[in-house]
Order: sequence, then C-alpha cells, then structure tokens
Amino acid sequence: MTTSLSDRATAEGRGRAGRVLRAEWTKFWSVPRWVLAMLAAIVLTFLMSVLSASGSGTDENSAIWDLYVPGPDGRPVQDSFHFVHQPASGDLTITAQVASQEGRTLDASPAEPEAGAMAGLVIKESTEAGSAYAAIVVTPGDGVRLHANFETVHTGSTEAAPRYLRLTRTGATITGFESADGTRWSEVGKVDVPELPDAVEVGMLVGSPDGVVVERQFGSTAVGKTSTISAAEFDNVSLEPGRTGFWRGDDIGLHGVGQFTEAQGRFTIVGSGDIAAYSGPGDDVVQLSLIGFIVGVVVVCAVGVLYVTTEYKHGMIRTSFTVSPQRGRVLATKAIVIAGVAFAVGLIAALISFQLGQPILRENGFAPPAFDTMSLSDPIVWRAITGSAILLALVAVLSLCIAVITRRSASAITLVIALTVLPLLAGFGLPAGPAGWLMRLTPAGGFALQRVVEPTEHLVDPVAMIAPLEGLVVLLAYAAGACILAGWLLNRRDA
Amino acid sequence: MTARLVVAEWTKLRTVPSTAWLALAVAASTVLLGALATASVDTSQCPSATECFEDTTKLALTGVWLSQSAVVVLATLTVTSEFGTRMIQTTFAVMPRRPAVVIAKAISVSIVVAAAGAVGVLGSVAAGRIILPGNGFTIENGYEPLSFADGPTLRASAGTVLYLTLVALLSLGIGALIRDTAGAITVTLTVLYLFSIAAYLVNDPVWSERLQTYSPMPAGLAIQATTNLDRLAVQPWPGIGVLAAYTGAAVAAGVAAVKIRDV
Repeated sequence: MTTSLSDRATAEGRGRAGRVLRAEWTKFWSVPRWVLAMLAAIVLTFLMSVLSASGSGTDENSAIWDLYVPGPDGRPVQDSFHFVHQPASGDLTITAQVASQEGRTLDASPAEPEAGAMAGLVIKESTEAGSAYAAIVVTPGDGVRLHANFETVHTGSTEAAPRYLRLTRTGATITGFESADGTRWSEVGKVDVPELPDAVEVGMLVGSPDGVVVERQFGSTAVGKTSTISAAEFDNVSLEPGRTGFWRGDDIGLHGVGQFTEAQGRFTIVGSGDIAAYSGPGDDVVQLSLIGFIVGVVVVCAVGVLYVTTEYKHGMIRTSFTVSPQRGRVLATKAIVIAGVAFAVGLIAALISFQLGQPILRENGFAPPAFDTMSLSDPIVWRAITGSAILLALVAVLSLCIAVITRRSASAITLVIALTVLPLLAGFGLPAGPAGWLMRLTPAGGFALQRVVEPTEHLVDPVAMIAPLEGLVVLLAYAAGACILAGWLLNRRDA
Repeated sequence: MTARLVVAEWTKLRTVPSTAWLALAVAASTVLLGALATASVDTSQCPSATECFEDTTKLALTGVWLSQSAVVVLATLTVTSEFGTRMIQTTFAVMPRRPAVVIAKAISVSIVVAAAGAVGVLGSVAAGRIILPGNGFTIENGYEPLSFADGPTLRASAGTVLYLTLVALLSLGIGALIRDTAGAITVTLTVLYLFSIAAYLVNDPVWSERLQTYSPMPAGLAIQATTNLDRLAVQPWPGIGVLAAYTGAAVAAGVAAVKIRDV
C-alpha cells in the first residue's frame, strides 16, 4: 500500500534526521575543550562588559541644568524662542497668518531655514522658561503641529508657510485650527492644559532649533551643535476678546538674538531656540552594558570553525558522510547544533552582563534624568538581550559555513574575525558616512542588534549609525550566503 | 650549522603554497584597505580645507589594520603546522637544539613578512600620492604630496614594515606557546584587535590613555604618526617599543616552552 510505504519512508526520514542531530550534538558536547570554550565565552563576555562599564562615565546629569530648565512636571526641557505677547485672561481666540518664513545666518543675511524652525501662536502660563503652554506652529520641514507642555503633539497638514493658524481657549481645553485662506478652517486637535491659570500671556512665537555640525579634525570626527536663527512675517493678527493693543517682545530661555518690528499690522519676528523635552545625549545604556560581546563573538567563531575543521583534520568527515550521505543535511544539522549552543551562551552572557553592568553604569553617571533606568521589565531590553543571542548564533553559523568553504582553521577564523571585529575598529577612524556603510556591508553590523536607541550619526561608535534590523539583515545575508556556498561545495568536492 | 638551519627553515616556508598566497594577501590588503580609507576622507568634512589637521601618511597606511591578520596566520602556521602534522618530531630529531629551530623560523618568517610588508607600504604610499590631492589634500591647502624624502613619512613607512615584522614574531611566539593553530590565531587576533577596540569604547580618559599606551596594536601603530604628535597617548618610538616588549616576552615564552615540553 502506497500510503503506508510513504508514511514509513517519512517516519524513517524523520528518525534519521533525529539520529543525525543526536550524533552531531554528541560530537559537540563530548569535546571538553569546546564546552569549556563556550563556558569561557560566557565568563569573558560578562567580565569584559563589567570592565568596560566600570571604565565608562558621563557628566551629562551635572551639565544638564546648564542648558535645560525644569518643565511643568520638573523634568528637563528646552524652552527658548522669541515671544511677542500681551496678557489676556479667560476664554480667548488668537488668529494670525504666518505669511512667510526664512532662515538667517548668524550675521543676519538670509539662509535656508532649519527643517524644524517654528513660527506660530502660543498661550503660555508666563514668560518664564519652562512654564506651561499650548502652541500651534508651522515649520518648513514638518508642517503644522499642535503641542503643549513639551509633549503632546497633534500633527496637522504638511503645508509650510503661508498658513493661517488659530488657537481657541475654553477653560483648560485649547483647540488648534489651521487654514489656507483664513475662511475655511480645519481642526488640528484639542489639548488639555490644566496648569494654565486664568491670566496668561498670549501671542506669537518664532524659534529655530540648533543645527548639527559634523566636523572632522585630527583624524577623527566630532559632532557639535550651533544656534540657528529664523525670521517669520505675521499678518491678519487678531486676539478676541480683550485686545489691549500693546505687544511686547521677549526672548524666552537662554537666547538673546530675538527681536520684532511691527508696521501696519505686519509683524516681522526674529528668534532662535526650540521648545522640546530633553532628548538625552544618545548613548545607549543597554548596549554599553553588553560591550563584552566582542570577546564572545571571537570565542564562538573559533569553536564554530573547529566544529568543522577538526573533522577534516582527522578525516572524521569521511565517516560522517559515509553514515549520512546527504551532506547538506549534515551541514544543516551542525548549523542547528552550533547556533543553538551559541544562542544559549549569548542569552546567559547578555543577562549576566546587563544585570551586573546596569548598576555600575548608573553609579558612573548614566542615571535619570539624562538616562532612563533600564530593567528587565522593559520589552526593548529583552529585544537587545535576544538580539545579542542572535548575534552569537549567526556568527557561529557564519564561522561554521566559512570553515566548510576553506576547510582550514587558520583562514576561517581570521576571515570571520576580520569581517566581524575589524570593521568596528576601522569605523571609529572613518567619517560618519563611510563608517555607516562599513556597518551596512559587513557582518560587524550585527552588533546593532544590541542597541535600543534610534540610529544616530552623532556618536563616534560606528554601530550606532545603523538600525538593529539593518544589522540583522546584513549578518543574516552573510551567514546564508556562506552556508549556500558551503552546501554547494560540499556536494561538489571530495570529502 | 646555524646557516644550514635557516636555509632548512626557509625551504620549508618557501615550499608551502600558502606562504606565497599569504604574502600576497599581506601586500594586497595593505594597499587595498589603505586606498579605500584614503578615498573615504575628504577635506570637505572639515571646518575648512586648511583646518583638517589630517595625518595623511597615517591615513594612507591604514591597510595594516587588515593585513596584520594575514601576517598572524602566516607566522602562526610556521610553528603550529609542524605540531599539527607531527613534523616537529622529525625536525627536533635532526636538530636537537630546539631554541635554534625557533629562531631560524623567526628569521625566515621575518624576511617574508618584511618583504611583503615593504611592497604593501610602497603601494599604499603610491596610492596615497594619487588619491589625496583629488580629495582636497593639495599643496595649496598645506599638504605636501607623500614622499620618502620627508623624515616623518619615511619613519612611519619603515616603522610600519617593522610593526608587521614584530606582529609576525609575536604570533610565532604565541604559536610556539599554544601549539594549536586555531587557539594561537584566536589569542593573537584577540590581543591585537580587542584591546584596541576597548581603548575606543572605554570613555574614561585615564583608562583610554592607559589602553592606548599599553595595548600592542595602538602602541605599535603610534609609529605611523607624522603630525599632531603632542596628541598621542604614546610617542612613536616608545610605542613600538611597547609592542617589541610584548613580542620579546612572547618569543621568550615560546622558546622556553618548546625547550621544556615534550613534543
């Protein structure tokens, strides 16, 4: 009967696959040297992580209040812009058209505006930096946005100036509107600002966030910030009810470049600065506690290579292929065994590194408010820990398959280390662009799996320049490519 | 007798096909990575073309970062492959003065590495001369074309060949100590690369400077610096001295181990 025959064949196939898996697993654990090396990988990884955490420090938390002010909830915020305002109380509506918006260089000649340069309307508790507010602004790059108390953001249209804007206050609720012509209005959103008192300051704001300057000197790249200025023209300004007619201009926050002029109901306002919650310096506290994986990767690479080359050296590979002639299956089974072991090693090493490293890093200044406290209850921490384990598993598979291709320990180990570790080192000395591409084109990018902070070109660490997913893709591509080539060569070559 | 020993070791090294390939890899990867690194740096990335303070000689010689890994393989194999194939028993039966054997191996591998390294360095400097002016490193911006007539450039270039030779001897020493190819290569590459990365990753200035001063690769490569010497953690000659100290220790330990242990 055909069905039972094919069933038996399938069951037999499954049984054979299981036997190959058991055989390969036995080959691995019965070599004390490899088991010891994997245990050493765990210990060396977390020792290196702890050492590196002990040698890292930051004074961000003491520097923070030089540049930021406490917001309504006490957390650091940047609150600087030029405010053309007058006092008002109770429910009110302010309307204006932002007729035009441009950038200015520091010596006041026209320039391209920053994408985030703001021109708009604001209702604010007082002229003190950090006080409660609600604002609607138009920006050249991000369109119309309604925000309040440095957090809530409603996004409106993506249009730039000219644009009519309106804020309406009803009790604690503030509603933002926008319009192209001043007659047909669409609502951007509503926001509750209970901190606002009855008597507020209301008016127009102009600001321009700091520009980023990436400069290379003395063979390394440094990232700095520079203030930028923008100018905007407002017309059709109306404030109802209770206009007093007197507009005052004040620089909010630390800047001192703002000014305004008024002629026939047309306001030209120049300002600098940004309204934003503190965003942190970009150091990835989770990644900082997992630095030791550069050692782990090297050890796992050596074991992954030896798992194959030892069989070639002693001719054992011929026995293996005689017992199970499907060579592709032997390779796949070896890959499963070494990936599983490396994954487990990575998981344990990452957990220990994280748990030991975090308190040390907090002690060394990586603490709130500049840095969030990270713990195992954050899902994103688990992503980095699992990512570290995936990193080791894929490096192990890559090493295994490159070893099948070269059949020599020396060249395979050197090739894998040159591909996964050397680019990290080279990246530190290169400008941000080429360093980022180096990470996207070599398996070293896989270290990005350990990051939880958004990619940035503002850190010297090349791994910080690419997203975890990009890193996973490049590492996976190398491992898959090497294994496909290895499988093809296995079937072509004599053992 | 000693001369015959060197000739014997030289023949062994010369007749293994991997030696020629690895020597070629040393020269080619020095030139290739050096040219790539040079091409990726441009004066437009600086505040102004005259304010780059780029060390163009050092930049052109970046290739040794990669080529030293081929040097490690070449030098390690001269020792460990004999242990792997048990050839070492024959060698020691013929020549019972074991330290002399290791020294003969050291001499022959040094010649190969120095020759390949010199070719690589010449190629890198030539590539630098061609690429640099196109990236804004011109005479008008204060950059003389790379030339061996310039004292610091000559020191950096000859020093790079010396660096590769010292790395070869370090690998040979570690190879004699560990005897296993995979283990020896892993240890040597770890010593070279990981300590350098650690020097970047540790942001405590004191520790970073210590790591740059006492790690073999960053200290040894200080020999490549031609400008901004006051910004270095360790000066060129003391730096390569640090590497030489590690190499001396590794070779001494390797010789001692070979002498004491059974084969």
